[in-house]
Amino acid sequence: MRLPALIGLLTGVLTSSGWAAGTRPLMLTGESLPLLPQHLVEFVLETVGAPAWLVTLGSLAAAAGTVVGVFLSAFALLSLIERKTLARIQNRIGPNRAGIFGILQPVADGIKMLTKEDIVPIKAEGFLHLLAPILIVLPSILALGVIPYGREWNPVPLELGLVFFFATGTMTEVAVFIAGWASGSKFPMLGAMRAISQMVSYELPLIISALSVVMLSGTLSLTGIVANQAGYHLGFIPAWNILTPWGFVAGMVFAIAANAESNRCPFDLPEGESEIVAGHMTEYSGFKYALFFMGEYLGLFAISGLGITLFLGGWQAPLPGLDFVPSWIWFFGKLAVVIFVFLWVRGTFPRVRIDQLMRFAWLCLIPIALLTLPVAALWKFSGEGALGWLLCSAVLAVPFIIITVIFNRRMAPAIRTYHYAE
Amino acid sequence: MIPLLILSPLILLAALGAVWKARPVHAALLLALSLALVAVLYLTIGAEFIGLVQFMVYIGGVAILIVFALLITRPGDEAAELDRRPRSLGVGLACVLPVLGLLLFAFSKGLPASSAVEANPALPVQALGRELFENSVPAVLTVGVLLTAVLIGAALFARETGDKPEPPASR
Repeated sequence: MRLPALIGLLTGVLTSSGWAAGTRPLMLTGESLPLLPQHLVEFVLETVGAPAWLVTLGSLAAAAGTVVGVFLSAFALLSLIERKTLARIQNRIGPNRAGIFGILQPVADGIKMLTKEDIVPIKAEGFLHLLAPILIVLPSILALGVIPYGREWNPVPLELGLVFFFATGTMTEVAVFIAGWASGSKFPMLGAMRAISQMVSYELPLIISALSVVMLSGTLSLTGIVANQAGYHLGFIPAWNILTPWGFVAGMVFAIAANAESNRCPFDLPEGESEIVAGHMTEYSGFKYALFFMGEYLGLFAISGLGITLFLGGWQAPLPGLDFVPSWIWFFGKLAVVIFVFLWVRGTFPRVRIDQLMRFAWLCLIPIALLTLPVAALWKFSGEGALGWLLCSAVLAVPFIIITVIFNRRMAPAIRTYHYAE
Repeated sequence: MIPLLILSPLILLAALGAVWKARPVHAALLLALSLALVAVLYLTIGAEFIGLVQFMVYIGGVAILIVFALLITRPGDEAAELDRRPRSLGVGLACVLPVLGLLLFAFSKGLPASSAVEANPALPVQALGRELFENSVPAVLTVGVLLTAVLIGAALFARETGDKPEPPASR
């Protein structure tokens, strides 16, 4: 009974034309290509005669495996691209020893991390010390599951996708605290407190700027939010949220807050190598240390993916005639552009000080983010046209200028005296 | 039913650990764990919104707040914590007994008929929002005003002690 099934599977794969998996016919198109592992597992399990719950379980595991596999490869690739791009910005060559253009550098890094000694300090709390890196990676992977990557590639289409995303994000703060506290040393503790206060402060503008999108979309489902941005104004301008007055401001606030949430330069104070060694990661070595970086990069992918979903139209094509390209390619193209902008920002801006960081969040970002809520309502009720543009821009511009002028006046003079450095 | 049977002992164990652990940070982490497990319980019975919000508010907000309060205000003497236990036992009983009495009173009245409805009510979040912000607006507004007052009060307290070299170790 198994041989015909295997032959059927092989012919199905070889011809790539499609086959009948149980009652469900499967056409292999570009659009459904990322679903191939899931369908393969379902097909194999069904032909073998597995019970229904096992088929469901296998299908879910394959769907999760696809997402994790794609983003772990992207993580390896990004670690190289980031170093190369930064090197280009800083007029260096960057990694060029492992393979041509340093293409094998991620492999070398991985082997180095795996073979390093795993040191647990004698004052550390053994179990919690081990738990922290796991809890750092877990929420990022969970958050990656709810993002719609394509028209058909939508791993977990939750009705409350956005709430789920932010709920998983809160786990990171607890994980950072555990990492800092369980290390049993001062530097990790200080670093963790800084990291948590930064995350708590920047989570507010992040969520508030996402709220304006929820207000106008009328849904918390990420699939619904993407569907709401379909279509084109005047035949060629995509109806993305970033191309509205409130969406532009909210998108900018979201990008800045996302940059700070994922602890990247100019907001990479939690690590702060020059001041507090490496923050909450000080007492970690070997693969646990690598897990922290994996969590950071997966979190960067997740939050960029959310930003694309909320403001940049998700998987929608940027121009009307380009729908023949599979939608997930558009998503990953946008992801590449967004990540490149993050790299560019990292290579360009100097690191801020901790008091500047806090003041920027509470006095500048949060008021502007709060402002986008009434402006989004104004946009809705003023007809979403030229009148809306005029009114919303005016309402946004005046407080924006006032806030930034106050902010600059408070920031510009040296208000902080260094008691110990003089 | 099965998730309830698995989860409720775990929740109880975590809560007991939160009470019995000597080190305050361990207690806070176990409290966070028990709150997270309650969120999982909500998720398993189909109350997705309340489960996720429980997670967001209690793990991201309350647990972090407790931890911060512990680390900023505590004098650092953990042995003294153990001596204080009998007194805190009395306070704990005074807090728990009214709640227990209320629960027993509620159960003695018999379970309401609404608990016999299907396990998965699948309330769409739009309906939930409509219920909250149309039918229960006074309650929501009252809570909002209360929380704002608390926030302002907290800011005032923080301002008062901000200039002093040593913050008071009152908890």
